[in-house]
Amino acid sequence: MMTRGVRAGSNETTPARGVALEPASHESFIVAPDDRILITGAAGFIGSCVVESLVDHGFRNLVCFVRPSSGLAGIERIINQRPPGVRIDVIKGNLLSRADCEAACTDVAVLYHLAAGTGEKSFPDAFMNSVVATRNLLDASLGHARLRRFVLVSSFTVYTNRGKPRRRLLDESCPVEERPELRGDAYCFAKVKQEQLVAEYGRNFGVPYVVVRPGSVYGGSKSQITGRVGLGTFGLFLHLGGSNTIPFTYVDNCAEAIVLAGLVEGVEGEAFNVVDDDLPSSRHFLRQYKKNVRLFKSVYVPHAISHALCYLWEKYSKRSKGQLPSAFNRKRWHVEWKKTRYSNEKLKAKLGWAPKVPTAEAMGRYFQSCKQGKQHA
Amino acid sequence: MLKVAIVGCGKIADAHASVIQQIPGCEIVGACDREPLMATQLQERFPVRKCFPEVAELVSEARPDVVHITTPPASHFEIAKFCLEHGCHVYVEKPFTVDAGQGQRLVDLAEEKGVKLTAGHNHQFSHVARRMRALVASGYLGGTPVHMESYYCYDLSNRSYARALLGDKRHWVRILPGGLLQNIISHGIARIAEFLTTDAPQVIAYGFVSPLLKSIGETEIVDELRVIISEEERTTAYFTFSSQMRPSLHEFRIYGPKNGLILDQNHEILIQLRGAKFKSYADHFIPPVLFAKQHFANLVGNAKLFLTKDFHMDSGMKFLIESFYRSIRDGAPLPISYREILLTTRIMDTIFEQIRAGQSQGRVAYQAQRVP
Repeated sequence: MMTRGVRAGSNETTPARGVALEPASHESFIVAPDDRILITGAAGFIGSCVVESLVDHGFRNLVCFVRPSSGLAGIERIINQRPPGVRIDVIKGNLLSRADCEAACTDVAVLYHLAAGTGEKSFPDAFMNSVVATRNLLDASLGHARLRRFVLVSSFTVYTNRGKPRRRLLDESCPVEERPELRGDAYCFAKVKQEQLVAEYGRNFGVPYVVVRPGSVYGGSKSQITGRVGLGTFGLFLHLGGSNTIPFTYVDNCAEAIVLAGLVEGVEGEAFNVVDDDLPSSRHFLRQYKKNVRLFKSVYVPHAISHALCYLWEKYSKRSKGQLPSAFNRKRWHVEWKKTRYSNEKLKAKLGWAPKVPTAEAMGRYFQSCKQGKQHA
Repeated sequence: MLKVAIVGCGKIADAHASVIQQIPGCEIVGACDREPLMATQLQERFPVRKCFPEVAELVSEARPDVVHITTPPASHFEIAKFCLEHGCHVYVEKPFTVDAGQGQRLVDLAEEKGVKLTAGHNHQFSHVARRMRALVASGYLGGTPVHMESYYCYDLSNRSYARALLGDKRHWVRILPGGLLQNIISHGIARIAEFLTTDAPQVIAYGFVSPLLKSIGETEIVDELRVIISEEERTTAYFTFSSQMRPSLHEFRIYGPKNGLILDQNHEILIQLRGAKFKSYADHFIPPVLFAKQHFANLVGNAKLFLTKDFHMDSGMKFLIESFYRSIRDGAPLPISYREILLTTRIMDTIFEQIRAGQSQGRVAYQAQRVP
């Protein structure tokens, strides 16, 4: 187990520390600084932070896999600022092409798989860009005996948030959606199937995998408010979260957790939830957002009412044979709007993770960049 | 029980499976995709009996009565030909084939084998399109159409979306003779083809790459198209495809010697345009009231459809599939005539030929060309 500059073993009640990390000891990692590390989705919101974090950890042989259409400003900035001796290759390709995957996986020791079909409403599209792409990567990596770790970046969306062993606490021991097709959410379906596929490759072919499930990742100028807080509709924001804790993780903190999941020994086959310390309530976040970014009208919808509305929508969708898509249903309500507590205990205990940026500071940075983004727009 | 199979398990296959499962007396006996995972995901979400990686296996083992082909367009011809040869009725998603020659061969083969064939021009069967067809058939226009205008737009204003769609130089859209246009415009062209009376109208097409696509480095994909279609001094038509104009219209206007009609697909509205005028100032006051009355009637009609649970987004597809199955089971007429399917394909071929000629000569095409 690696040694870190912070003490492990705390949960969401722990005060924010934001302690600067000591340089990681490569002796405790499963790979050496010159081993080849592949990051898919490297041009994305989290991916570019993962690349930056790997450079900060002293890794010198990185391969960024990006779509041909991806903007490369983030990666180019990292390349331009990299320390001497650090090599960052950029491969443009399509994960649906086995040949592209073969080329990218050559001699890779750690593979961080972040690329996914996000924001897609179509089940087949989300499935293809997540599951088929992952299968191609896994097959390609099997051909190279050097793979030491396959890190799948999944999501909180895979949890049912029902039948939890410790009542309101959602942690890695909680059940994952068994019938994701009934959630009415293409992303959830694709992510559950993607995790199942990776676990299958782990069982059948011995792929040493780790699954990382971030909560709501925020940062940069990504100003869209997570659905866990509420939904904007017809010019009005329906505040659905109320006093719920929102499982936020700041993008730098999340990237750090993902990076460690690929490096720390002895965690094969494990899943890790990623949430920060000192999580704000939905109401507190919304108030701060309005104060610091922009003002808009919002109406609080109590949980009993949002549950009833989801129930009615679900029933009508079924009775009308899909005249209204089943976008709202009780399964979704349980996942997004039920009062829940979150834990990062396992992440701290097993990976030695600690948030690089405390929540208060992260929120400040986030609101500032949202405001700047809005002004530029 | 009608045994149905789906070949190609991508996005549009979902719509097909969703409709088929609602039609009584049907069973989806097989789903086929060369990517087995894709067939499996469809089976997990819909009542599909078995998955197959190859069409030959599907046809020989599941023995479907009808095959829905929902693969990328370049493969439509070969798959449809195989299914027809093996005695299956075939529903081919739009665009029917990549050129009119392939389309004609499929129609000939279907007739030879005594099986039926249709194209996925489902927008022709939305509630509002059916109301319009009934009015035209009742003689509302007062004779043969004089002029038509068909708008079929596609929103590509979002720069990052356009990049994602067009960034992949190996995307199947690029290998179609008509590129992006071929995958989209058949709905809008079919609306015109339905009311043309001759089989060889003249076409003048003008296509270009929009400034937005040029700004992201695209030089090949034509996303703005204007077309004039005419029939020897009889019926004429304008067709417009645009990725940039707003609103992004899906509209059809048809004018006869007496009256006209406007079909607004986006809002499911049908407006009757009265040819006769009111006297003097009355023409400024009475028509707005009559238009308001018509819009209100559209609102009530749409609300009724919604309340009776008959206002699904894919209601046109449901009607088309049901009509096709009825023609198979009961010998009812085909929902879309082969003439209309082939004329649509031939007009599209002529448009693409003119655009290609214009591009190769470094200019846009203006010269009229007769549809072969």
